[in-house]
Amino acid sequence: MNVGQQLINGLVLASGYACVAIGWTVLLGAARLVNFAHGQLYMLGAFVAWAAMDRAGLSYWASIPVAVVAVGLLGAAMQRLMGRLMLEHNLTSLMIVTLGFGYVVQGGAARIFGGEPHQLQSPLARGSIRMGELWLSGQDLLVFAVTAILFTLVWFALERTRVGATVRAVAEDPKLAQLFGIDASLVYLGVFVFESATVAFAATVVAPHSPILTSMGFDEVILTFVVVVLGGVGSVLGTLVASLGLGLFTAFFGALVSPAYTTAAAFAVVLAVLVLRPGGFAAK
Amino acid sequence: MSGPARAAGRLAALAVLLVLVYEMPRWLGGSVLVYSTCVTVAIFSVMAYGTDMVLSYLGEVSLGHTIFWAGGGYVAALLATRLGANGWATAAAAVAVALALAVVLGLATLRTREFVFSLVTYAAAVVAMEVTFNWAALGGSDGIIGIPKLTLPLPGGAWSGSSSAELWPVALALLVLTVAFIHRFRRSRLGLAALMVQMHPDLAATLGLDPRQVRLRVFVISAPVSALAGWLYAYQRAYVGPDMYESYFLVLMLTAAVLAGRRVLVGPVIGTALILLQQNYLSLGGDGDRIVLGLVLAGILIFWPQGLVGLWRLATRRRAEGR
Repeated sequence: MNVGQQLINGLVLASGYACVAIGWTVLLGAARLVNFAHGQLYMLGAFVAWAAMDRAGLSYWASIPVAVVAVGLLGAAMQRLMGRLMLEHNLTSLMIVTLGFGYVVQGGAARIFGGEPHQLQSPLARGSIRMGELWLSGQDLLVFAVTAILFTLVWFALERTRVGATVRAVAEDPKLAQLFGIDASLVYLGVFVFESATVAFAATVVAPHSPILTSMGFDEVILTFVVVVLGGVGSVLGTLVASLGLGLFTAFFGALVSPAYTTAAAFAVVLAVLVLRPGGFAAK
Repeated sequence: MSGPARAAGRLAALAVLLVLVYEMPRWLGGSVLVYSTCVTVAIFSVMAYGTDMVLSYLGEVSLGHTIFWAGGGYVAALLATRLGANGWATAAAAVAVALALAVVLGLATLRTREFVFSLVTYAAAVVAMEVTFNWAALGGSDGIIGIPKLTLPLPGGAWSGSSSAELWPVALALLVLTVAFIHRFRRSRLGLAALMVQMHPDLAATLGLDPRQVRLRVFVISAPVSALAGWLYAYQRAYVGPDMYESYFLVLMLTAAVLAGRRVLVGPVIGTALILLQQNYLSLGGDGDRIVLGLVLAGILIFWPQGLVGLWRLATRRRAEGR
């Protein structure tokens, strides 16, 4: 086994997980809401970008904003429908509602885009960078760079700006925040749209790695969910650390033991951690 | 009317209702589709009752009940094809395996709540699916084919059957037993404790109830319910495969549990029947049915959280007030 190459593979996997997870982390931190449609929104982002390129003839770069805006708008519509449940903080119902939405998105996408696998073509996927024996594609580098920039921006926005302070206030205590004149429902709408838009963005840069199918849904992002919970609910840095750990674990387990059982092994580790520390690594 | 007389009357009414339901598929034409729909409604309702127990009485969303559902099916398939075991033996084994799996998963999730509980149960289902898919002894991705017909040795001679029409009495009996079990559970100390822990955690603590114990017990006894549904499903299809872990069953269980209304005794039966009537008689194709099922699930919780029964109560109250 080439340790250096597996290290690179692990880092690429990790930045993919982190990129898909960031919106979820913010949503979970601010609203304690789990969006079980996250996987289907990821799928939709990839398919909207594919359709924009394949059917409308846009370039890869032009298709990214199309996917981000389209899925962001869908996210806004979903949030408006769930508005009352969100203010009631009815978490059980919200979880099931998002599961239902995900199922609708999956059925709808299969109707519109068909059931065949497609490939989101990125001009960077072909180009490769070699350093001696080590190898990575231009797309890998893009995912890496995008994730680094995204995490820096989100961390800065949450910790250093007024908007971030507002979101954190609502996360801490929605009723108290409202007493101070903060519109909690507006904050919920904002974080939900942010989550939908970033997962679509993540899909456009991560999905070119493998064929896309309308049936790929929750299972495609379940590892991301794991990252979010392991990192500690709402912790941006925790998400990054958990992604790194999981990415490296997946790469080395796949190479050393068995690729077929990689997901199962990752979950076994996660189960063990959650049994010992239900709040994740960041829990005090 | 005096107490015993009322009880006797109620029992007689139940018996009449049971006979009516039993004869229903014959009156509806007795075609293969009618019988298979009725049997499937019974099986899927029983499956949904497992999730419903956790959702309605603990207020948690278990995304792991497909493990018990598939587990029951696989146990029946393995024992029936490899050892030629009869239906009683496979059912007992399905219950035992489900209990064992639920104890492990229940202990693992003992300290988790809300979305972490849902995540862990879902993660466990993904692990179980991957293991089933890759393990040659369980048939791998092909599953197990050629399950013999269901044989139940009885005092008056063995009963056996494999077609939906033949399996209908067994499916109905399983459903009736499940509803009776849920009825019993709702009135049991554990059922009341579960509701107390969910609705008034502080009061429950004052009464000396340990929420973790209650949650673990309810979770564990809910597992064999879904497992027995999987057990009969294996005989109905004469096949089990990793498709039993599909999210369709998960969404169906949850929709059945909320459609008629949570904590309604026959709610999951009504919910399952409505969903399967749409899918079997008014189907819009696989993807169209998915959209319908998802919309029903989300729509009910957004617009009528009390379910159809709540809607009915609202309508009757309005009429009563209008008078």
